[in-house]
Amino acid sequence: MNRGELLKLYKEMLVLRNFDEMCLNLKMEDLIMDGFHPYSGEEAIAVGVSSVLNKDDYVISNHRPQGHSIAKGSTTRAVFCEMLGRRGGVSQGIGGPMQWIDYENNFYCGSIVGSGMTIAAGVTMALKKEKEGRICVCYFGDGASNTGSFHEAMNLASIWKLPVLYILENNQYGEAMPAAEFVSVNPISKRGGSYGIEGITVDGNDVEAVYETVNTAVKKARTGIGPYFIECVTYRTRGHYGGDPEHTYRTREEVEEWKKKCPIKRVKVKLEAMGVSEMELDGINKEVIAGLESDKDWALEQRFPTLEEATDHVWIPSE
Amino acid sequence: MIKKRMITYCDALREATREEMKMDKNVYLIGEDVGRWGNLFGASKGLLAEFGPVQVKDCPISEAALAGCAVGSTLVGMRPIAEIMYIDFITIAMDQIVNHAVKYHQLSNGKVKLPVVFRTQQGVGMRNSSQHSACYENWFVNVPGLIIAMPSTPYDMKGILKSAVRNDNPVLIIEHKALYFTKGEVPEEEYFVPLGKAELKREGSDITIIATSWMVLHALAAAKKLAAEGINCEVVDPRTIWPLDKETLINSVNKTGRCVVVTEAPAEGGWSGEASTVITENCFKNLKRPVKRVCGMRTGIPYGTVLEKSVVPDDEWIITAVKELL
Repeated sequence: MNRGELLKLYKEMLVLRNFDEMCLNLKMEDLIMDGFHPYSGEEAIAVGVSSVLNKDDYVISNHRPQGHSIAKGSTTRAVFCEMLGRRGGVSQGIGGPMQWIDYENNFYCGSIVGSGMTIAAGVTMALKKEKEGRICVCYFGDGASNTGSFHEAMNLASIWKLPVLYILENNQYGEAMPAAEFVSVNPISKRGGSYGIEGITVDGNDVEAVYETVNTAVKKARTGIGPYFIECVTYRTRGHYGGDPEHTYRTREEVEEWKKKCPIKRVKVKLEAMGVSEMELDGINKEVIAGLESDKDWALEQRFPTLEEATDHVWIPSE
Repeated sequence: MIKKRMITYCDALREATREEMKMDKNVYLIGEDVGRWGNLFGASKGLLAEFGPVQVKDCPISEAALAGCAVGSTLVGMRPIAEIMYIDFITIAMDQIVNHAVKYHQLSNGKVKLPVVFRTQQGVGMRNSSQHSACYENWFVNVPGLIIAMPSTPYDMKGILKSAVRNDNPVLIIEHKALYFTKGEVPEEEYFVPLGKAELKREGSDITIIATSWMVLHALAAAKKLAAEGINCEVVDPRTIWPLDKETLINSVNKTGRCVVVTEAPAEGGWSGEASTVITENCFKNLKRPVKRVCGMRTGIPYGTVLEKSVVPDDEWIITAVKELL
C-alpha cells in the first residue's frame, strides 16, 4: 500500500479507537446505559474490510457494531447518539449500543449471537438475483461459530453459491469463554471445509493483510460467486463489555502482550519508515480527537426519545 | 353474475400463491420440499415447473436459515412466502421471527419494511403424534409487530394469503392440516380478505361461539345440531387473531349476552384468555353468564386416530358448554 492509502486507513482506525475509548468513559459515567461492547484492538478488520465496500453494499453486524458501522459510513455523531440513547442516533436512540439499523448505509446489526449469518444469506440470495455486483459482508465472532445459525447459514450460502463474505473476528473470547477451550477447531476457518468453502485465516491486526484478502474475495463476489469465509485473528484489548470482570478469564500479561501487536501502532511504525513525521501522525490523531469530541458534545445535547416516539413504528396499521 | 365454484383449502392456497407470484416477480416461495414435492399437501404442486427454481426455492432442513433468508431478502426488496412445514418446527426459526423480522421496522424508525409471510400448519388430523400436531399460535400473539391469521375456509385462505403477501408487515399464517381437503366456495375473480377483520360464519341470537381455524367447523356443526333443539348460536371467526377485530366480537356478545371461546390449543396463558378478557372488559353489563372456554387438553398430542381427536374440542364439547351457559 502506498503512503496515501495507508495514511487514510490509519486515520480511520484512529477514529474507531478514539471513539471506543470515549464510549468507555461515557459508559463509566453511566451516560451509555447498556453494556457497550468495546472494539479496541480489532480496528484493522472493520477498516480493512470496509475499504473495499461501496455504500450500496450490505453489512450485517453483531452486538459489537460501532466499528463496523462507522467504517461502513455511519456518522460518528449518529453512532454517539445511539450509544447515548438520543434522538439523532442511527436508530433514533431506541436501539442502543448493540442493535441498530443505518438504512442509508445498508447497515444492520443485532445482539443475538449468530443470527445475522442467516440474514446475510437472504440478503445475498436477493443480491445474486439482482445481478448488479452488490455484495454483503457479515461480521461474527468465535462465539457465533458455535451456533446453529452459523452451520445452517454456511451450508445454505455454499449450496446456493451466495456472494457473501463471512468475516470471523476471532478475538479469542466469547464473553469470558476462551476460543481455545470452547471452539473445537483451530483455526476456526477449518470449519469452512465442512461446507465446501475454503476457509482463510489472516492476521486480523494487519490492516494491509485484511485489505488484500478481502479485496481478492470481494472482486470475485461481485461477479455473483461466493461464499467466502475469512477468519481474522485478533484480540479485544478491552473487556467483553465496558467494565467486565476481566481478571476472571485472562491475565494482565496476556492483554499487554496483545497490545504490543496493536494494529494502529503497526501502521504507525510503517508510516514512520515511509518518512511520515511523528508530528504529522500526532497531528492526525489530534484532529481525529477534536472531531470526535465535538461530535460527542453535540450528541450529549440531543434529547431522548419521547415515549410516543420510542413505541412508534412497531407495525404498519392497515389503512 | 358471480360464478360459483367449489375448491379445496389447499387449492385456494395454491391459487393465491400462484396469482401473487405471477403478479410480482419479487414474490417467491421458500420452504422444505415446496418445489419437487410441491408441499406435503400439494399446496405448491406445479409451481416449480411454472415459475422455476428462483421463485420456488426448496430449502434444506434448516428452519433458522430458511426464516433468516426470508428476512434478509426483504431488505433487498423481495416479498417471500416462507413455509415452515409444521408449526412444531418453527421453534428452530423463532429467533429470526421474534427477534429480527418484527423489530427491523421499529429499529429503522419506520424506514425498513418487512413484507415477509411465514406460512405453517398445525393441529391434529394426520395422526402425527406429539411433535407434529401441536397448536402454538399462543406464543406469537404475545409478539409485538407480528400479524397472525388462522383461516378456516378456502375463501378465507385465498383472500388472507393475498392480503398478507401485499402487506408490509411480517405476517404469520397458521393453516390447519385437517382443513386442506375441505371444500368451499371460491370465486374465479380476484378478491382479498382484509387482515384484522372477523366474520360472522353464522348469525344467531342466543349465544356467541368464538372459534378459530378448524374449531370454526366444529362450532358450525354444533350450531346446526343446537338449532334443531331451538338454540340459536352465532359463530364468530376472528380470522386474524392479532390484530383482533374486537368490534365484531363485542357487538355479537352484546347482542347474545353469552359467549363460548373455542380453541384447539390449551387454554392456559393463551389467546382464548385474551378473547375472553376482551369480552369481559367490554360486555360485562350485557353478559348473562361468565364467558366459558372450550380448549384442547393440556397434554402432548397422543398417537392415533381416536386418541388425537379425543384431546381437542369437537362439536359435542361445544354443545355441552353452550348448554351450561343457557
